[in-house]
Amino acid sequence: MILILIKLLILPLLSPLCIGIIRKIDAFMQNRRGASVIQPYFDLWKLFHKDEVISPDASWIFRATPYIIFAISLMLPLGIPLLSQVESWGFFSDFLVVVYLLALMTFFLALAGIDTGSMFGGFGASREMTLSALTEAVLVFSLLPIAIISQTSNLILMATTTSSLPPITYFPIFIAFIGFFIALMAETGRIPFDNPSTHLELTMIHEAMIIEYSGKRLALIEWTAANKFLFFVLLGANIFFPYGLSTTTNLLDLLIAVGVVAMKALLLIGAIGIIESSIAKYRLFRLPDLLLTGLILGIISLIATNI
Amino acid sequence: MTYSEIIKQFLPQSVSPELSTNLILFAVPHDRLTEICTTLYTTHSLPLKTIKAADERATNGVFKIMYIFAVPHEKYFLVPYVAVKEGQSFPSLVKHIYESLRYEQEIHSMFGLLPEGNVFLQPFILHENWPQTSFPLRKDFKGTTRPAMIDATGPFQKIEGEGIYEIPVGPVHAGIIEPGHFRFSVAGEEIISLEPKLGYTHKGSEKLFESFTIPEMIKLSERISGDTSFTQSLAFCQAIEQLGGIKVPKRASYLRVIYSELERMANHLNDVGFILNDTAFSFGGSYGTRLREQIIQLCEELTGHRFLRGVNTIGGVTKDISPEKQQSIGALVRSLKKDFEELIEIVENKETVLNRLRGTGVLEKQTAHDYGVVGIAARASDIPVDARIDYPYAAYPDMNVQVAKRDSGDVYARYNVRIQEVINAIHIILHALNNLPSGQISQHTTLTLKPNSYTVSITEGWRGDIVYFVATDTNGKVSRVGIRDASFLNWPAVPQAVVGNIVPDFPLINKSFNLSYSGFDR
Repeated sequence: MILILIKLLILPLLSPLCIGIIRKIDAFMQNRRGASVIQPYFDLWKLFHKDEVISPDASWIFRATPYIIFAISLMLPLGIPLLSQVESWGFFSDFLVVVYLLALMTFFLALAGIDTGSMFGGFGASREMTLSALTEAVLVFSLLPIAIISQTSNLILMATTTSSLPPITYFPIFIAFIGFFIALMAETGRIPFDNPSTHLELTMIHEAMIIEYSGKRLALIEWTAANKFLFFVLLGANIFFPYGLSTTTNLLDLLIAVGVVAMKALLLIGAIGIIESSIAKYRLFRLPDLLLTGLILGIISLIATNI
Repeated sequence: MTYSEIIKQFLPQSVSPELSTNLILFAVPHDRLTEICTTLYTTHSLPLKTIKAADERATNGVFKIMYIFAVPHEKYFLVPYVAVKEGQSFPSLVKHIYESLRYEQEIHSMFGLLPEGNVFLQPFILHENWPQTSFPLRKDFKGTTRPAMIDATGPFQKIEGEGIYEIPVGPVHAGIIEPGHFRFSVAGEEIISLEPKLGYTHKGSEKLFESFTIPEMIKLSERISGDTSFTQSLAFCQAIEQLGGIKVPKRASYLRVIYSELERMANHLNDVGFILNDTAFSFGGSYGTRLREQIIQLCEELTGHRFLRGVNTIGGVTKDISPEKQQSIGALVRSLKKDFEELIEIVENKETVLNRLRGTGVLEKQTAHDYGVVGIAARASDIPVDARIDYPYAAYPDMNVQVAKRDSGDVYARYNVRIQEVINAIHIILHALNNLPSGQISQHTTLTLKPNSYTVSITEGWRGDIVYFVATDTNGKVSRVGIRDASFLNWPAVPQAVVGNIVPDFPLINKSFNLSYSGFDR
């Protein structure tokens, strides 16, 4: 029970910190000092205290979307192994449920983008849908090899299986992880897919969809984006590298697991920060190629697991 | 070539030329204008630097429209002109010399003179709410009056077809940049057409010049395009010096070169950073901004102003560079060169960055030529023009200026031209510092301008050449200042480079030109 509570709270509580850390890494890579790692908390606080401007043409979709996607983002971590291998949350643990919860979020965001009739919202939504259709396949195919190895689509059981595999069979999983990493960058709008810090509307994807939002609803959307980012980091760290997960629910074991999982997450965030600082954004029409590469990696991994 | 040789080679027998400072003026009857201008432009390949009109109804009862052609490497300009009576039209050159289009539109909007045969006569620079019966540059229009707004909306060209939609962007943009409206017609992500609408920063500068004193005029010229303060005011000061017969001391002309090149470096470094930043390679962005800031701070240390305002004066400059400062400039530009080359090497090894720059926003050589494109954009499209070489001024004849030329015409070419020019600027600055002559930094004499004269002065701003046309009246007072910034010619060429690219690449292409809205609108 307490574990479920932790799972519900960990995302919203820690996700702004993750955004702060990745911004700090970006700043470091650019020889800047950068803002404090807790700045995103202040940003959310600021947005929650601001007035909103909502277009008179906006329908209920525009108003409801921030709440819907925020709620979905809270549910996301319920099914994944967070600290131990003995957690279970039946329905939410199926990796296809996770993939389609993400798709549901994208669906509502894209609708909200079109809803106000603004130019930028429209093409942000069109770009996002083009990419997310491809990303969905990459995500499924990167998780599929592990599902096949462990003969289950339950994420917690999948983590249990991968942690007990001999290192020699780890190679296909690593290939699948690279595919997963590409999907992660696409889903969370990092470079080379999208530039989260640009002000140029014409180049935006995610930011263009939400360009009409302000105040509290914008805060919720920003918070959701942060949640999604942390969720992907935890998913990657615990499914592909499930070492250090506690096998019991002893307090001591769990505390050790907290430290190990935090280390893994930080390493992954560091890798994302360094990679995105050292490349440029791809030309929009080259992005499908990159996603296709991710898909092929998934398929290779799938073949490799069956040899 | 001497004066008489130039006349013999370029001018038809029938005309009677007169010399006014550096201009060879000759009146042309309306029916021969096209033939004479086309001969100069096409047969002799002389560049058309600008077309400016002047209201001389008070003295001659006519408007004069001057077609200013330059003779590269010579100190004289050839200026055929037509006299136009009020209510009369003048022949349009658009069919033969395409780049004359914007000049004719401007004369039509500002003077109310009709270019016969030019069919593109929508309001130009002036807002469409401005009544089309007031012409601000006529002498009888008072600069302080505010005419009643008319209710009008300007049409945009309509591109129709299945799946084609319009994207309106601006005039107010994200970030701290100048205003301008862009109307894209796109099919999916591909841009079918782009129509920029400018004029939002029109400040009536050319009109303001007519009511100002000379020191005020210098200040105004520094503000025509803020990032080019020094080169803009240099062009203006040179024009006045030519009219006043003032000789600038040697030391001042060297200092002018050093300041010009510092300005060029600061802006090029900034642009290199911003081009990289627009590919989302933010490391390059912050690196470029840092290097630019170093130069800007050096400028402040030397002159007390980050953008070198208040430095140019008639007869020289106001700020000297002491021997200690010379040392520190030398040390700074040398260390900056090392840092800059390091950045360029990092970028050259980044395939993802180069992929964004190469083949993006190609401006074809022929298009660049027809639009009369100048400066970085021209040199990147294989047209070797550079006012520092073609019309040497200040101490540039003593400098070894190299044309930084590329031939691919894409964003990468414009990026590389900038890089090459930063390196060249460093060499020029070091050369000028080593050979800095001693003596005065400005010529103090009472200024009397030649009455009823005209002059043209050209400098190479960091974007491209800047042309000032200055005329005086019978009392030796400045009666007309015509300004042609590089942006005036380059803006209309941007849509040509953009068509066929995709929408998310537009900011990058636009940044690779980085034109001045204010310089275009004035």
